[in-house]
Amino acid sequence: MDKLAPLLNIFSVGILISTFSLVASKRIMSYIKAFRIQSLILAAVAAIFSIYYLVEENRLEGIFIIFLLTVVFKVIYIPSMLKRISVRVEYKVEKDFFINIPISIIICCGLVILTWYVVSKIPELNNGYNGSFMVQSVSVILIGLFFMISRKKAIGQIIGFLVLENGTFLTAILLTSGMPMIVEFGIFFDLLTAVLIMGIFVFRINETFEHIDLNKLRNLRG
Amino acid sequence: MLFLLLIVPLTTSLLFWTVRESVRTINIINATGSAILFAVSLLNLKVVLEQGKITSDFFGGIFYIDSLNGLILFATTLVSLLISIYSIGYMNEEYKRSLVNIARLRLYYCLLHLFIFTMILTTITQNIGVMWISIEATTLASAFLVGFYNNRKSIEAAWKYIIICSVGIAFALLGVILLYYSSVISLGQTVQGLNWQFLNDNAGSLHSSILKIAFLFILIGFGTKVGLAPMHTWLPDAHSQAPSPVSALLSGVLLNTAMYGIIRIMTIVNKNMGNSQFTGSLMIILGLVSIGAAAVFILVQQDFKRTLAYSSIEHMGIIALGIGISSALSIFAALFHIINHSLTKSMLFAASGNVYLKYDTKKISKIQGILKVMPVTGTVFLLGIFAITGMPPFSIFTSELGITISAFKEGKYLAVGFLLAFLVLIFAGFSSQMLRMFFGKPHKDHGIGEMNRITPVVLLILLAIITVTGIYLPSFLEKLIKSAGDIILLVH
Repeated sequence: MDKLAPLLNIFSVGILISTFSLVASKRIMSYIKAFRIQSLILAAVAAIFSIYYLVEENRLEGIFIIFLLTVVFKVIYIPSMLKRISVRVEYKVEKDFFINIPISIIICCGLVILTWYVVSKIPELNNGYNGSFMVQSVSVILIGLFFMISRKKAIGQIIGFLVLENGTFLTAILLTSGMPMIVEFGIFFDLLTAVLIMGIFVFRINETFEHIDLNKLRNLRG
Repeated sequence: MLFLLLIVPLTTSLLFWTVRESVRTINIINATGSAILFAVSLLNLKVVLEQGKITSDFFGGIFYIDSLNGLILFATTLVSLLISIYSIGYMNEEYKRSLVNIARLRLYYCLLHLFIFTMILTTITQNIGVMWISIEATTLASAFLVGFYNNRKSIEAAWKYIIICSVGIAFALLGVILLYYSSVISLGQTVQGLNWQFLNDNAGSLHSSILKIAFLFILIGFGTKVGLAPMHTWLPDAHSQAPSPVSALLSGVLLNTAMYGIIRIMTIVNKNMGNSQFTGSLMIILGLVSIGAAAVFILVQQDFKRTLAYSSIEHMGIIALGIGISSALSIFAALFHIINHSLTKSMLFAASGNVYLKYDTKKISKIQGILKVMPVTGTVFLLGIFAITGMPPFSIFTSELGITISAFKEGKYLAVGFLLAFLVLIFAGFSSQMLRMFFGKPHKDHGIGEMNRITPVVLLILLAIITVTGIYLPSFLEKLIKSAGDIILLVH
């Protein structure tokens, strides 16, 4: 497994970079594209692991199925579903963010540094490449969260959530080379259902409010 | 026997789709399903009381019941039974007024039992990963129930609910991954790597610093679902917008199951560190912040369902405080408080549902004379308000007293000072806001009398239980709570 670590490190840096490109994009279509590329790299990481197990230990692990599920759902199905939703509910391009892009990028760099600082304080996490895996994947999670709070539209929030969960999957794969199978499947299907339900609610918000600007959802306060 | 706990609610929820037109059949399936479920859980509890625990070999032993989750299971199935019977009265009334049609009614009951299924799955699993999955599944099953009325406010509440809870719980997933990582590096990769029993038995050999971070993430994540401040913002919206039976389940059962997840992981961390200082102080701080936040919002609330929702945050805070103090008495009181809160709060939400149906508003200022208009609901609601604010002879008084005494005994004077001050504020808030609904003359003529015969009966049963347990604790419950407390205190 240690031979693979430098290669995996490159891929996980790739995921971090794709997250930055997501934060830097203005239009919904370009978020979806960035998310698709990110999922593709995640699938590649899972593929590396399953090939490794197949060649070295001659067994097909659960992670191979995770690879397939990632390709089918996160690379193909969810992005095209989000595209369909966004074509149906919002045709106009308008400013969608609370914080402008240069400042967002600076905040995201700050988040990466913060994660690096925290991880470097914990000696048990710093054996071999695990420390840098941890920094990269937890930064992806935090940037996903930041993306969610900095966008006004429902689709922006869904994408942020998807990035956040890509980050957690990356952590699980890199740190523990996959959780027990039943847990891994359960998590995948839970998150998939969550995204589908969120998609349904986007339609409902669109029908009842005639917009999906969450900044204007202010009936319930206090 | 163990698997029946999962099969019964799942089959019940599927059976509704076989019904075409008859509301009566739907009601019968609903009532029998939850009655059988309660009976099955009692049988399981009997085994737990006799043998200490139930295990199975399924998937490396992911299902496991001991007295700690037995207690939560008891509260879950008891409240589910009473609330699904209450649902019959409530939803029939909505059906009569054609607020819902038969298809929506079917969907409602199907999701309700699916929701109960996911909560039971959370309760009876010992695999922390499966626990995470099922807690996320509770959000998914109840999101449409929260947004059931499909109007502006309920959709907003449902959106907030699903987004905030999913994000919160994603942090818990990171915690679960770290927990598994610490188990992998110390104990190697096994199927049992996430099982509570396995982790608890080998707690000594896990890395403390990774475990601490894992606990922090899990506390934030599951704490979002428990409704601990400052992660509570979804809770008042979801509780106030959902149909009242669903609010009762959300508040009375769902919050407990998430709290149970935190307690399980806390025991591992405590055992690893050899004391409860780290987890205890976090729980005490979060608990006090929640009680304080709830007190402030209860004082200014205009909507009676929101007041009740904030009171749930308060009580979850009290439970967290009791668990955090970590003495034998405080843990006994906190576990007893879990049961008391779930029964009292579901009673109050059920009563508030009756009031809402009668007056068609949730604004406190628009409601007067409940006692005159609905004598049974009014009386129960009024007594329930005294019960929830901790007046004797109701059971919440007993458990809050236990927590207060134990805090004094352990020398947590600052915590107990804050607790008492906040409880006074909450009592003031409840009495100044809510009491005026009960007296005087109604603004409009709503017609005197209860809506139906089912809902008052449910309310009276719940009132009887909380009054009796306030004075006398049945021996089986006492034994269950004691041995559950021993699990948390690591006395074997």
